[in-house]
Amino acid sequence: MSSPANDPRQPAAARPYKPSPVAPQDLPIDYSGFIAVIFGVFGAMFRYKICSWLAIIFSAQSLANMRNMENDLKQISMAMMFGIMGLMTNYLGVGPRASKKT
Amino acid sequence: MAKHSFSLSPFSSFILPRGDTLFYLIALFSILSLLLHHLSPVSAENRHFEGFDADEIDDFADSDEPISVAEHLPPPPPTTTLSVSDPIESHHGPPPPSDPAPQVTSQPSDPKPASTSFDYWDEDEFEGIPQSPPSDSPLIMESATATSSDSDPGLKPEPEPEPEIPKSISSYTVEIVCVSFLIMFVINYFTGKKENENLALAWATKFATKDSIFEKNFSLLGVGETDDSPLLLKEGQNVFKFYASGRRFCQGMLATMELKSRHDLISRLYNMVVPCKDEITFEVYMNDDAMDHVVVAVAKKKLVKTMQKEITDLQRFASLVSPPSGRKWIAEELAVVSESKEVAGDMISETVLDQVFGDKAYEKFGKGFISMHFSDQHLGSHKKMLVFKFALPDAKNMADMTRLVALVPYYIDLVGRYKLSSHARTKTEGARMKVAQEIYKELQNARQEALQRKKAEQRKKMEEAEAKLGAEALRKREAKERARQMKKAMPKMKMTRTG
Repeated sequence: MSSPANDPRQPAAARPYKPSPVAPQDLPIDYSGFIAVIFGVFGAMFRYKICSWLAIIFSAQSLANMRNMENDLKQISMAMMFGIMGLMTNYLGVGPRASKKT
Repeated sequence: MAKHSFSLSPFSSFILPRGDTLFYLIALFSILSLLLHHLSPVSAENRHFEGFDADEIDDFADSDEPISVAEHLPPPPPTTTLSVSDPIESHHGPPPPSDPAPQVTSQPSDPKPASTSFDYWDEDEFEGIPQSPPSDSPLIMESATATSSDSDPGLKPEPEPEPEIPKSISSYTVEIVCVSFLIMFVINYFTGKKENENLALAWATKFATKDSIFEKNFSLLGVGETDDSPLLLKEGQNVFKFYASGRRFCQGMLATMELKSRHDLISRLYNMVVPCKDEITFEVYMNDDAMDHVVVAVAKKKLVKTMQKEITDLQRFASLVSPPSGRKWIAEELAVVSESKEVAGDMISETVLDQVFGDKAYEKFGKGFISMHFSDQHLGSHKKMLVFKFALPDAKNMADMTRLVALVPYYIDLVGRYKLSSHARTKTEGARMKVAQEIYKELQNARQEALQRKKAEQRKKMEEAEAKLGAEALRKREAKERARQMKKAMPKMKMTRTG
């Protein structure tokens, strides 16, 4: 399109890439992690199997969408813990199925 | 039996995409059940024959027995538990001539499964099958109850999961759905990740490798400091960044690819309902001395309106430019927002109209065009910036956006060389002064407000503190006053005494 006769390149003016620092509060909100925590709490508190499973699924989603490790890992791990705890109490706790298996 | 096969068929179709061991397990189970289904009538017949045998023998042996056997004849057909082991029993010589006593003991066990078979139909069936191997042992001779009880410990590992599935298919739906969804999620994560990476790499190989547009225009490509550094910076699974620098008129260019979140199954499903595009945004940081007062934006008509409302510099300086008469102008779907007609006219040059924005060219090449926004008054760290937003085509058709990408260096040169006419310049300078003054005023107002607020807060705090201390302070003050009054009164008293 534009065919400049001279070379537009100026190696002297090159500046290396500096990633613009992003404040943690400016990061997009991790909705799936939030939902996962809520479901996890519900699942663990009221022993809804489906809530615990949904918590696991949503924490998997937020794990997949994680951008930087440090900030998100706390929330995700919390959601995971709640979800797994809910499942443990559901399946390994006092239940007819658990007694059968053992 | 039929009921189970019905309940199985949708289930197996649901599982099918995974092709897992569970499917095999269910297939195995259905085959086993079919086998049993076939076996049961045959065995029942055998039973009849066996019964006749027994009758005959019993007839010879004793006259009482036939009656008891005849009484028990009807139940056999439904009983499947013993039937499997029975044929073997009949093959072996011993059973018929055996004493009537075991027969009698075995008979009462028959009605039991018959009556309970409707409740625990499957369990019994499955117990029956593996029983057959051990049943050829003399153990059968003892009684049916013995075999059934004996077989339990030996069979524990194998039939255990099998009775579980038919019993609880409905109660396990949540788990099955969730686990299969999780597995699909994981698979999709890796495939989607790969897809996104391929798309970004396709873009990079098309436009940033040797003899490509960016290689010819920028001396430094990639995010690192050396030439070997990777071209793309991956930020998250669906955001890729490409940086280039070392060109006249600009400090650098940052291209950010925001792809669909293909790695995320949930947002993928969501995007089926609400479709979105793969986008690439070029931000060109212009040199401070290389950009005159230019505020222009080009986009589709709807988008232009929202841009003008939401982007502050367009809001402050620019207004919609009506297409000029007597001149070729951009395609009808597009609209221009600019500070002045002169700037808009100069920015939409003949070459650009020819290449991309003209009616004909836009139909061919404009599909990927989303918006374009030049401004010397950007908010944020860098003020003078050109922003281009395009939609990415497929990895295979990357060449479709060549002309769009070519707009970037073209406009860097055009804007870099552009000088406003003196007349327009005075106008734009006036506008900028005005805005700057307004901003200054706003800032001052804000500062003053903040100051006043601080003062008010301090006053409030003081008052609160006083109110808190109030009770004690009052008491002290009263005490002081009393003392003062006493002091005042005392000398008088003395005076009166002396006096």
